[in-house]
Amino acid sequence: MAKEYRSRSLGTALRYKGREGMWTWMLHRATGLGVLLFLIIHVIETGLIVISPEFYDEALLLYKNPFFRIAELLIFFSVLFHAANGLRIVVQDFWPAVMRRQRQLVWAATAVVVIAMIPVTWMMVAPLFGWADEPGTGRHLERCRSATTAPACVLEGSAEAEAL
Amino acid sequence: MSTEESTAGRGEARPGGGYDVPRGGRSNFEVWSWVFMRVSGVILIFLSVYHLVWWNLVVGVEHLDSELVIDRWANPLYRLLNIALLTFAMLHGLNGARYSIEDYVRKPGLQLAVKGVVYTIVIGSLIFGIFALLTFDPSILTNR
Repeated sequence: MAKEYRSRSLGTALRYKGREGMWTWMLHRATGLGVLLFLIIHVIETGLIVISPEFYDEALLLYKNPFFRIAELLIFFSVLFHAANGLRIVVQDFWPAVMRRQRQLVWAATAVVVIAMIPVTWMMVAPLFGWADEPGTGRHLERCRSATTAPACVLEGSAEAEAL
Repeated sequence: MSTEESTAGRGEARPGGGYDVPRGGRSNFEVWSWVFMRVSGVILIFLSVYHLVWWNLVVGVEHLDSELVIDRWANPLYRLLNIALLTFAMLHGLNGARYSIEDYVRKPGLQLAVKGVVYTIVIGSLIFGIFALLTFDPSILTNR
């Protein structure tokens, strides 16, 4: 049995100057674990629908809280970063010649994520300040014209009635 | 092969502080886990990005309700797609969590305990999710 367990402190780990490779490695782990944590919550909450759709609609109120928008953005970033960086790792594994260009590939993957996050951030944040409609508003209004008893339409109806 | 190598067991600590790569001839588990991470990862790029774009940007969380989900799940193909997304995501995440646990929790007893808790939560929610998708009855919408 192994007797020796060596681990390094976080301070030592952060002083290690591994540059792009190290930072993407750390972010890959952090985003992966973060997405897994959300995935567990999300699966339990969605699974509730077979037990009680009404209870599911109640649970959704948690996601409709404006503070959750920050979490939604984080989830978006985490999935996109994990996807782009993961694809970079797969490309490097199967095509080792590009390892010489690892640094450039890291920046290319990061650029893809940042560029994708610009419209996503606008769509998520602008509605909070009234600069734009919530994503899917047009689709939602169209739906509520025919399905007026749908829970999201009823909720909307009562909020509008209050405002009037 | 040196004699030193033959006395070192699977995953034994080396005096320098590193760990020997397990090289038992019995199973290729780590190789298959490596392959699985690449294959499931590439599949998950498509499934998860589609899922995020559809529910968060096209539908919008603000407008989400049980009827939209029930409508969607009435199509068995979407339930099958969800089972694929759920299973790949959970197993990819579970194996990723295993990498982190094995890296940071080095004491064998504690590592086993942490793995036990994490595996139970992840596999438990995976089974619950598959159960929900398989037992889903579209008529709950019309029966209301």
